[in-house]
Amino acid sequence: MMIRYAAAAVLAAALVLAAARLHGHESYGRAASFTLLAGAAFGFAIQRSRFCFTAAFRDLYLLRDRRMALGTLAALASGSVGYLVVLGAQLPDPSRYLPPTAHIAPSGLHLVLGGAAFGTGMVLAGGCISGSLYRLGEGSLVAPVTLGAAAAGYGLAFWTWDWFYLKMIAEGPVVWLPRSLGYAGAAAAQLAALALLAGLVLWKCPGLPPRPGAPVGPRAALRRALVDGWPSWMGGLAVGAIATFVFLRTSPLGVTSELSRVSHEIGKALGIVPVELQGLGKLPGCRPAATGAAFTPNAIFVLALVGGSAVAALLAGEFKVRVGRPRTFAMAAAGGLLLGFGAMISLGCTVGTMLSGIMAFSLSGWLFAAGLAGGAWAGTKLMRKLA
Amino acid sequence: MALSLILAALAQDALVSTDWVFQNLQNPKVRVVEVSVDPGVYEKGHVQGAVGWKWHSELCNPVNRDIVSPEAFEKLCQSAGISNDSTVVLYGDLNNWFACWAYWMFTMYGHKDVKLMNGGRKKWELEKRPMDLNVPSHPAGKFKVTSTNLALRARLWDVLKVVEKKEPGVLVDVRSPDEHTGKVFAPPGIQELSIRAGCVPGARNIPWSKTVNEDGTFKSVEELKKLYAEAGVDGTAPVIAYCRIGERSSHTWFVLKMLLGFDVRNYDGSWTEYGNAVGVPIENKTGTIWTGK
Repeated sequence: MMIRYAAAAVLAAALVLAAARLHGHESYGRAASFTLLAGAAFGFAIQRSRFCFTAAFRDLYLLRDRRMALGTLAALASGSVGYLVVLGAQLPDPSRYLPPTAHIAPSGLHLVLGGAAFGTGMVLAGGCISGSLYRLGEGSLVAPVTLGAAAAGYGLAFWTWDWFYLKMIAEGPVVWLPRSLGYAGAAAAQLAALALLAGLVLWKCPGLPPRPGAPVGPRAALRRALVDGWPSWMGGLAVGAIATFVFLRTSPLGVTSELSRVSHEIGKALGIVPVELQGLGKLPGCRPAATGAAFTPNAIFVLALVGGSAVAALLAGEFKVRVGRPRTFAMAAAGGLLLGFGAMISLGCTVGTMLSGIMAFSLSGWLFAAGLAGGAWAGTKLMRKLA
Repeated sequence: MALSLILAALAQDALVSTDWVFQNLQNPKVRVVEVSVDPGVYEKGHVQGAVGWKWHSELCNPVNRDIVSPEAFEKLCQSAGISNDSTVVLYGDLNNWFACWAYWMFTMYGHKDVKLMNGGRKKWELEKRPMDLNVPSHPAGKFKVTSTNLALRARLWDVLKVVEKKEPGVLVDVRSPDEHTGKVFAPPGIQELSIRAGCVPGARNIPWSKTVNEDGTFKSVEELKKLYAEAGVDGTAPVIAYCRIGERSSHTWFVLKMLLGFDVRNYDGSWTEYGNAVGVPIENKTGTIWTGK
């Protein structure tokens, strides 16, 4: 036990030192330092609450277990409120321009298709991309297979990108709710929709019996925060808060930019993917983009995410090198391909397109979510058939 | 005809529109600087990528009453990521008054590529353009002061030479008519006052506010020429512009020098120096005397 506390402390110290180093570094600076700390906090929070969109849909469909679904809705609601506060400062009048960094992407069928592919993939693989990243921090050996397959899925998607761009994305309408409804109207409509979904979930899916009364006191509270699992709604609130802070200080939450960039670089080096991807530079979302430095901002975020998750896992005694059956690996690979494909044509995943889109009051996020719901349902049906 | 073309070109050179700035936010050569004097204005939101400068402590000498030294100005520019080949874009609150002071600094200290965003903060906000809340961290710039042209600056003795007709020139008082006639010492609520009210003898009163439209942008070159010509300022005699502390006169200096091409100096000491100086002639049409009737 002492070993894992020591390991957690060393890892946490390493993360903080890395952030300090980045802060003063010529090629990185304050924003990179903030990104690292935010990534670590995000990884910690989602590991503690086992926050995964796969569970949100699959457990809902399969087991009528509503916890993660409610956690997701909590994240969306709290993040929407946080975004509202920031947007009101950035763009007091939403009628003419768009907030420059938010993931407000063109709406179109590609989002539903991408969401559906992603939803099916995540159920097959047992985790979405952010879920796989935090599981990597816990010691999962299946997660890297999922992520590797996702990179391959990106490769496949690069071949179809131009078609999707020209047919659906280039002329897709950008639908930003505050532009037509104002901030108050957009907030009311969106929060009402989220409340409706929450109501539906609460009504249709029975809750678990409440936990027995836990002891109070500072030691117990610390234990609760660092060792015991967090309830999903708490994870949701943490995600909403981190999403807001990251949007304010750097750019919207996302975990796939670096993955897609690496996939593109490898593909280009092997000569097996198209070099030019039309229109990519102008679109908001998790684009594959290189900077001059060795680590892109998203690389820093994702690596810190894994680190933060590892710290959380070590503290809770949940760090364990986990292997799966051959079937698990096969499903992870198949699912991963779909994850990568879906994330590329949607320019983001459950985090970058759904969370960051919906929190920014963009229709694109809702369309992706709709596809996700359908794809996850299909994936769940498929899993049952294969079982 | 040729002259107005030249003047129009001059104006084009010195001014950029809010739209141009909006389109060039990612341009690596462009460095945007906001010089706003009201507290918290820059912090609450500014043009993406804009650095914020404080006029009181960074563009003036914080100990002596003087303009910022070349060395301090160099350091300020370098930490804002400005080099000699950067395109500097200036804007600010209060109709770009203090941004114009910064423009005057850049011109005196030899930077060749400086633009003023026409309309300033006022126009950017009227057009409902997005604001950024983050302070940028540009890599250090390499700006060096290669030449100083203090001929663009008027001192008290330069003003007296014109008053005593020892040198040709015309003075332009850009303050409000009530300040000019001596009815008030300064607009209400202002802390920088003077012992005497009135104006420099012979100064023409062309308030700065007559040079701008409702949205903060400058009027056309033709309108401006007419405005000044009607007051007897047509560019034939060298001009010295002044106000109370030199910020509004910077605005008029910009109009006369960069838009109309006149020979003009900015008297930054302005009325807070002249109206407090001992033994200088003053014109006071209303007869106001400090604490007197």
